[in-house]
Amino acid sequence: MLDMTNRPSGLANSPATIASVRDLTVHFPSKRGMVHAVDRVSFEIRDGETLGLVGETGCGKSVTGRSFLQLLPIPPGILAQGTVTFHPHARCGACAGTGCDACNSTGRRPAACPSCTGAGCAQCNGSGAETVELLRLPEDRIRRIRGDRIAMIFQDPGKALNPTLTIGDQLSEVFLQHRTEELLDAAGIGPEDRGLAARLLGRLASQRNGSIDNLLLSLPPLRGKRNLLLDALRNNVAAALAETQIANPYQIIDRYPHELSGGMRQRVMIAQALACNPDLLIADEPTTALDVTVQARILELIKDLQKRRQTSVLYISHDLSLVRRICDRVAVMYAGRVVEIGRTDRIFRNPSHPYTRGLLHAVPTAATKRGQLMAIKGTVPELVDPPPSCRFVGRCPHEKALCRSKNPELAQISDEHSVSCFIHDAAGAADAPSFDEKTQ
Amino acid sequence: MQLRDYVIRRLLVLPFLIIGVSMIVFALTRVGGSPIGIYLSHEMTPAQVAEIEARFHLDKSLPVQYFYWARGVLQGDFGWSGVSVAPVAEVFPKKLAATLELSVASGIVAVVMGLWLGTYAGARRNRPADHITRVVAVTGASMPNFWLAILLLIIFWAQLGWMPIGRSTPEIIALVPTRTGLYTIDALLAGNLVAFGDALWHLILPAITLGYGATAIIARMMRSALVEELQLDYVDAARAKGLPERLVLKKHARRNALIPTVTVIGLTFGFLLQGTVSVEIIFRWPGIGKWMADSVLRGDQATLMTYVLFTSIVFLVLNLIVDVIYANLDRRVELGK
Repeated sequence: MLDMTNRPSGLANSPATIASVRDLTVHFPSKRGMVHAVDRVSFEIRDGETLGLVGETGCGKSVTGRSFLQLLPIPPGILAQGTVTFHPHARCGACAGTGCDACNSTGRRPAACPSCTGAGCAQCNGSGAETVELLRLPEDRIRRIRGDRIAMIFQDPGKALNPTLTIGDQLSEVFLQHRTEELLDAAGIGPEDRGLAARLLGRLASQRNGSIDNLLLSLPPLRGKRNLLLDALRNNVAAALAETQIANPYQIIDRYPHELSGGMRQRVMIAQALACNPDLLIADEPTTALDVTVQARILELIKDLQKRRQTSVLYISHDLSLVRRICDRVAVMYAGRVVEIGRTDRIFRNPSHPYTRGLLHAVPTAATKRGQLMAIKGTVPELVDPPPSCRFVGRCPHEKALCRSKNPELAQISDEHSVSCFIHDAAGAADAPSFDEKTQ
Repeated sequence: MQLRDYVIRRLLVLPFLIIGVSMIVFALTRVGGSPIGIYLSHEMTPAQVAEIEARFHLDKSLPVQYFYWARGVLQGDFGWSGVSVAPVAEVFPKKLAATLELSVASGIVAVVMGLWLGTYAGARRNRPADHITRVVAVTGASMPNFWLAILLLIIFWAQLGWMPIGRSTPEIIALVPTRTGLYTIDALLAGNLVAFGDALWHLILPAITLGYGATAIIARMMRSALVEELQLDYVDAARAKGLPERLVLKKHARRNALIPTVTVIGLTFGFLLQGTVSVEIIFRWPGIGKWMADSVLRGDQATLMTYVLFTSIVFLVLNLIVDVIYANLDRRVELGK
């Protein structure tokens, strides 16, 4: 675990969390009513940790992950309520992003609040860190966060890469969007330049170039500078690819996605996501579409990069054993709600929600004898206009009348372990369900 | 396989395809009657007729007749056009220039408007703009162009008198030296803006008529392809990189949506050529479409065969071009496999 007491920053009271989700609620209208895909989900991601978000298909984990980047399909989806706050980092001033002692060799430091420049004010809750509300950020500002401060890896790299663009083209876009100044710098254009060359190269370095620009830039007076810029871009792309242990990055650059294997494609996706040294990585089932052997190597790669750069990761998966291997903390989602959240060892050693228990019992191990594998009875409830009950009602072996009339809130049961179940509700007494008592 | 090798291979096969097509065309046309039918009169004696037949090798068997025709074609002799009262080889380039001008103009209308409308509608799925373009497109696709031609003529020529009919005002175009045979280009080359305006003015109505149907088909194809592409993961991945919506659409989704659309565009160009027949007749446009229609009615076989031969070559070449563009857009396409 990351040592939280010795955080390197010049801020008044630097926050220990990188992002926190509060009461996130997303609805989707359907013919039969409103589907409550995500229902008052709250959790936080600590700086530098890997948080696992587990649950079965359709439980809302992907929607939750996508909300960080405003990639939800809205409309038709409706953002009913909730906030996702994020503390973006800025490049470390002492080492210009290469990594030094001051920034714990991550190359990043929490950005200062723009209104109090780090002293702590009402806007940043006294922390002095810049705080943005991701869900309501205007298009041009969320765009600057996407791919730069928060990056995402998709489930199937075969589908998430554009089949008609080369790997180099696709990776270049990240640098062209977020590293325009550095590219111009490589071409010898300073920020104060205003000449034609600076304007044309500026448009090239931010993907605003048209065909006339390209023609002018390919002619002798500008050609040299353009080539410098393109060389810098190519080197950046190759360096990003090399980070993911791709042996021959310069040969991969001109390939098309279909020419690469699944594992290679996912490495390219990871390189693309980590190109700008993001603060938070949303990994949406990054190994599900891969072979088991490749899966293990990709997982090691993510783990290794995460450790080296101290990037916070939200790891979305349905695979419990995988989450156990890679995550510091785990949040278990069921039918649009977080039912249990806590440190990985606590959740796996002492699962305290009937659903988590059911899930863990349903995982076969080498010791499981034939016929001993447990299944959770019933099916996931439809989330169309759900009643105000616990969502696990009907499948829970311990349910009582109370569970059918009221929804249990997420409550802390021990240090770093919270569960939403009446079993742990001391006040419930007589009516409360219990693990000792099977009602069904 | 290399693109260049593929093109060379296809070009090598092309002559054989053309020979095959010409054989079919020749046989079918001869079934329709004697090629000298329109030159004969009732006063001629059988001996005179036999003499004419012998002169044109019509007394020989069909394969031999084909051989003589093919030899003529290779030597640039396409026969005598009874309709134009001149050698086919002499009239054909002028007629072709007129049709080329019309079909290129309508092709430009169709591709530019079709791709733009399709992209516009696809990016605004199920919003008012999408519904309006749908109405425009369905109307275009379901309206026969001879009907649209007559409708436009009634409104803009007969009633309002805004638009002219025919290809140009003879007095104006007479001042322009013929270089390419395309009046708009010739006028521009001569620097005669009055003639250019006149030529363009005559071109607008037939070009819109001819291009409307193709515009509709291209727009619908582009829209549905774009809608499909926009739902794929790579579009969200492009957004997650921080790309502005403009680039997501232009650089990512549209490029992929063009792949199926290009096939349709290639086919549409073939249909444009077909459509010239009715549009040229109605707008009195002196192109090969109208020429062909006249020659069918008069039994002018030399003209008819030249037309069919030319059209089939155009189709074959268009197909090749579409394949090459296709491979250029979609790198997964391996040509020749």
